Amino acid sequence: MGLSPSTGRKVQRNMTHRKFLRWPVMVGLLLLLVAVLSACTNPQTTFSPKSDTAQSIQTIYLLVIVMASIVMVGVFGVLGFALFRFRDRPGRVASQTHGNTKLEIIWTLLPIAILVIVGAPALIAVAGSAKAPDEDALHINVVGHQWWFEVQYPGMGPEDPNNPGERLPLITANEVHLPVGKQIYVTLESVDVIHSFWIPQLIGKTDMIPGTVNELQTFTPQEVGVFYGQCAEFCGTAHAQMRFRAVVESLGDFNEWAVALQTPPADPVSELAAAGQTLFLAKGCVACHTIYGMPGAAGKVGPDLTLLGDRRTIGAGIVDNTDEALQKWISNPQELKPGTLHMPSFGLLSNENPQHMSDAEIRAVSAFLRGMALE
Amino acid sequence: MAAYAGFLKRPVSPTGVWSWLTTVDHKRIGLLYGVTALIMFFIAGIEAVIMRLQLSSSEQTLVSPEIYNQLFTMHGTTMVFMVIMPMGAAFFNYLIPLMIGARDVAFPRLNAFSFWMFLFGTLLMHASFLTMSAPAMGWFAYAPLTSLEFSPASGVDYWVLGLQVLGIASMAAAFNFVVTIINLRAPGLTLMRMPVFVWMTLIISFLLIFAFPVITIALTLLQFDRWVGTHFYNAAAGADPLLWQHLFWVFGHPEVYILILPAMGIVSDILPTFTRKPLFGYPAVVFAGVSIAFMGFGVWSHHMFTTGMGAWANGVFSFATMLIAIPTGIKVFNWLGTLWGGAIQFKTPLLFSIGFISMFTLGGLSGVMHAVVPVDTQQQDTYFIVAHFHYVLFGGSLFGLMAGIYYWFPKMSGRMLNEGIGKLNFWLMFIGFNMTFFPMHIVGALGMPRRIYTYGADQGWDSINMFMTIGSLVIVASFLAFMVNVIRSLQSGERAGDNPWGAATIEWSISSPPPHYNFLEIPTVTSRYPLWEEGHSKGAAQIHGHDDDDGHAVHMPDPSYWPLVLSAGIAMLAGGLLIWKWHQILGFTVISTFGLLALYATYRWAFEPVNEPNHEEPHQ
Repeated sequence: MGLSPSTGRKVQRNMTHRKFLRWPVMVGLLLLLVAVLSACTNPQTTFSPKSDTAQSIQTIYLLVIVMASIVMVGVFGVLGFALFRFRDRPGRVASQTHGNTKLEIIWTLLPIAILVIVGAPALIAVAGSAKAPDEDALHINVVGHQWWFEVQYPGMGPEDPNNPGERLPLITANEVHLPVGKQIYVTLESVDVIHSFWIPQLIGKTDMIPGTVNELQTFTPQEVGVFYGQCAEFCGTAHAQMRFRAVVESLGDFNEWAVALQTPPADPVSELAAAGQTLFLAKGCVACHTIYGMPGAAGKVGPDLTLLGDRRTIGAGIVDNTDEALQKWISNPQELKPGTLHMPSFGLLSNENPQHMSDAEIRAVSAFLRGMALE
Repeated sequence: MAAYAGFLKRPVSPTGVWSWLTTVDHKRIGLLYGVTALIMFFIAGIEAVIMRLQLSSSEQTLVSPEIYNQLFTMHGTTMVFMVIMPMGAAFFNYLIPLMIGARDVAFPRLNAFSFWMFLFGTLLMHASFLTMSAPAMGWFAYAPLTSLEFSPASGVDYWVLGLQVLGIASMAAAFNFVVTIINLRAPGLTLMRMPVFVWMTLIISFLLIFAFPVITIALTLLQFDRWVGTHFYNAAAGADPLLWQHLFWVFGHPEVYILILPAMGIVSDILPTFTRKPLFGYPAVVFAGVSIAFMGFGVWSHHMFTTGMGAWANGVFSFATMLIAIPTGIKVFNWLGTLWGGAIQFKTPLLFSIGFISMFTLGGLSGVMHAVVPVDTQQQDTYFIVAHFHYVLFGGSLFGLMAGIYYWFPKMSGRMLNEGIGKLNFWLMFIGFNMTFFPMHIVGALGMPRRIYTYGADQGWDSINMFMTIGSLVIVASFLAFMVNVIRSLQSGERAGDNPWGAATIEWSISSPPPHYNFLEIPTVTSRYPLWEEGHSKGAAQIHGHDDDDGHAVHMPDPSYWPLVLSAGIAMLAGGLLIWKWHQILGFTVISTFGLLALYATYRWAFEPVNEPNHEEPHQ
């Protein structure tokens, strides 16, 4: 760069020094990025994988980020250097070059080389994603509804009365229970519009398309915990509030939950809850909601409410499951989740309407529903 | 022919409202496109700011979910079809004849027709706001959310018909410019001597011709579903709703290149002027543009990696998508090669061009990330994608178009834009843009999905969103600086002269603004940079142009009512279909009335002479 020999050496040493520094700095920045992105304050982060598949996705993700960063630093470096070095100043004459074939060939091959580095592992991963599930994988079928998730465990429910020997699916809603360390195989359906099933810390998303059964890439949860999931494809008014939780638990806890879900509920312990049970039938809730083992409660329009007291959230992952929240929900679901389909605002119906519920009645129904929980 | 009576007499006045409504002058049509696009940019910007305010913190209640869904649907649709596309159209209308040494486009009345169709399509779609039912299903309008069952409101109808009308505008313009560029080039202006912007216009015209029929078919099927009750996208009747996605993206991906290629052309023409050297690797830049356009038709399914197409399809489309990085990289490297060794003058158009190159590079790199299917399953439909395409379409297209406005405004208006305000405009936009959109990569990686009007406080997205909202206000400030600059310049800007930048292409050889006939004498072009040739600092055409009789010897086509009337007729056919849904007899009346009007206008158009015989001396 037009330096005298004596200063030239110094510059060279500086440059090797800098080059030596570059890699640790880059790796450091990357680790910082991962640390920030995987902070536990972000329950829906894609950068804190808790399953084997999510882990392998992140490995490729980091590779891609590194390659993109190298290209970015290179392009910005050359750009910045050129802008400074070739800025117009008195006496500067632009060199009248029209092009250079050798350079054109080099910078055609350069991106190809980078793409091979990124593309090869990507395509291998794509090929691997088509692998059939293991024999003993846990099969779950999730059905999208506007705007909630129906979760079915085929063959794990009570015996089918019409088909002795066959077992019905175990059914719940807006909460996917997964045993830790077991491979999970999820199929996806939709009854209305297109939704997308996504648990960022466990698995990338796959769409739920009406008329089709889609398969999610298999994954094995590696850590016990509650993970956030959300619908990722725009599906109408309340799309933003179509969420769910994935509960990863020990096999023992999972089995206990699965058994409880197909055990008729015990009689309500409190008077309030008993009154709530009566109201649940009388006010027509059962036309849309099922509670396993409760005579008359077999509606299929809304989410299955069996063992509701055990769920972390209500309204498809939008609020914590508390007395106050559930009462608010029963009274006026539109307030918590504008656009909610089918469900009346029981607290706002006119007094003449037989379905109207007073605050006391709402408290009773809420107590009944939340009373159904694991011991 | 003497039967024209009263108000039907052909308008001849060069000024006044009627002269604009009936103009067939490509420069005026270009300005009409540009002004309309800026107004729509303002509207889409307001929509964006309202969305940013709504998202500034968790559980905000500034707007309802219905309104929010309308806002992002209309923001996307408007920015794509009614801002960036027409801004590109403004440039190619205004500049192509000037750059190729022609007096107008091949079909001046068709050109006017394109603009009016565009305007009426825009008005038709925005009329939905008047009925409080703007479309709310996203600009991508995935079936079956668009069916009557799930979207009973008329928003989808406005959207479908508005796009159909806009599509006619685009197709007409595309054919016009293909013919113009192929046939009307000045002597000596071989294809490989054309300014890169002319090349890119030629390429996007072909893209439009091949891509728009696909969306037209997709929309027509949807129209049948909604008006007649067919089941093209109805899963319950056995159809596959993915059909829509395939059709939409077969159009939609080339559409991305329709949006970015004009900016690439603009930047390729601006860089030589401010580096004082020719574009590095001109043939490579041109062929890269052509190959991007070709490949653009083979990658549509990378928008659908999460739809369960299977490993084979995902692999093939992933591979094809990565290939596009090669010609794109070639372009970026050649721009760097152009800067290298230059004498770079940091004028506002160059600053915006640098902004374009750097921001587009970032957008391209995140694009390669999405091509990696496993990574895409984590990024698809999150804010990471929103960041990506804003880096391409805002950091790319809009920065390039802004560069073009600063560069050619003096030619169009005869006055310079202020450099100081221009630089303020650039830095505000550059900083505001990065404040708004860079954090979207991060919040997307933290799992924030797109198209959500609210999110929970427990997600930890609050502070990042507040930061982005502040950034969006900085962008608003930059837009205000731009408006101030334009208004000041029009009132009291410095006179530009013919060639204020010392540029090399022939549009700078004529006066600013150019006379209505452009070139008194068609110039002969001897190289890619004719005005930089020895003894060609002033175009031959120019020397004659100034001391002449104001161009009376040049015959230009007279203005015409019929493009306006025909496009009003066609647009109201669409309007009639909307009315028909609400009141069948009224709708039928409107459809038949305006259908007849359109037919009549077509007839009159077909038999209209270039010049009114009794207006000027007989033509030849």
